[in-house]
Amino acid sequence: MRGPELYVRRDSPLHRLDARAKLIALAGVVGGAALCPVRPPWPALALGGLLAAGFALGRVLAATVARRLLPLALVIGGPLALSRLGGEATRLAGETFALKSGLIAAAFLLLTATTRAEDLLDAAAGVPLLAGPAGLAGFILRGVHLLGGEVVRANRAWRLRAPRAGARVRLGALCAASVSLLGRAAARSERVGAAMALRGFQGRLPPPPGRPLARRELGIGLLVVFASLAVAGVGRWL
Amino acid sequence: MVDERASDDPLARARELSLAGLLGALGLLLPIGFHALGWGGRIFLPMHLPILVAGFVVGPALAASLGLIVPLLSAALTGMPPLAPPIALLMSVELAAKAAVASLLYRRLGLSLWVALPAALLANWIVLALAAVAAAGFFAIRTPPLRYLAAVMALTWPGVLLQVVAAPAAVAVIERRVPRLAARGRRGGP
Repeated sequence: MRGPELYVRRDSPLHRLDARAKLIALAGVVGGAALCPVRPPWPALALGGLLAAGFALGRVLAATVARRLLPLALVIGGPLALSRLGGEATRLAGETFALKSGLIAAAFLLLTATTRAEDLLDAAAGVPLLAGPAGLAGFILRGVHLLGGEVVRANRAWRLRAPRAGARVRLGALCAASVSLLGRAAARSERVGAAMALRGFQGRLPPPPGRPLARRELGIGLLVVFASLAVAGVGRWL
Repeated sequence: MVDERASDDPLARARELSLAGLLGALGLLLPIGFHALGWGGRIFLPMHLPILVAGFVVGPALAASLGLIVPLLSAALTGMPPLAPPIALLMSVELAAKAAVASLLYRRLGLSLWVALPAALLANWIVLALAAVAAAGFFAIRTPPLRYLAAVMALTWPGVLLQVVAAPAAVAVIERRVPRLAARGRRGGP
């Protein structure tokens, strides 16, 4: 994949933790963020602290976190700034939006920074309803590896040919390149499909090799769920 | 998930799955190409084009699955579109609706592409407005769905134009390169 991948290569306890346990923990943090009240601020700070501890445990640098979350500043900060112009209810809605978005985005970033996409898809394939979509997603990932080079070559070629082209020429070239890439992808899919059939594909993608989730790792995931929901629940109750 | 018409033939299923997979891959790669040129994905909607084209060349269930998966996979791999605020989720439902309607009308009912394309765009906007209402409820925001939709349409018209121009051209190219897609699957075909 030639793009800004989110995975950060490290050897940390969080990187070594089973992806299924991390998915369980993520569900808990997202649930906690959804329930978390804006006022008083301590539940949100506690959840933020839990995530900060996760980033520290995963040895993900603060600069990396800031860089990855920076593109969200406009999406979250814009509505928050606009809400300050309104009344009390609008301000509260803006704060709720910013708080929940920030916490959930950070939780997803922690997951994707410490887990490979392939491991996440294998973990999702073990969930009955997610098995089909996870198989298709794995197929898309393989397609990215197949076509990534072609996209980069197409971009480089027209940049070299027309480095100072105007917006209209660039847009036209990009449209033509997109249509051509779609056609090439379709032609290539014929060969890939034939190769799959030759290798014994019977209409279903094979399930990933499964192993039971260790109790210790399950316990860690459930502990995070409990902590997140407890913080949000107590905050809401008080 | 694979078109029922092809379900009895492993080769046809393999071809349809590989076609969906590669178009889904372009759904991840084209936005990177657009961003490399400094053009925002929010305006030109580069992820929409391959998914819409997939709607015209694969079955409805697979097309809808592709629409659901690609934005979420892109969010997990590249961080864009963001999962929170739930732009990736909104894109998932709108792309699933768009691809499913395109496939249903074009491949299943055998209607003209020039009927299926506007219907798919319309389905996209209706589902987006409904999904936006649901998402706004989660954040306790009271925004009229029509106002949100108007803002989205005002911002993304170049992307819609790109789809109206490029999708029929891409479908024509694909059907010329893979002739069985023009002949098979659609009602009335051999």
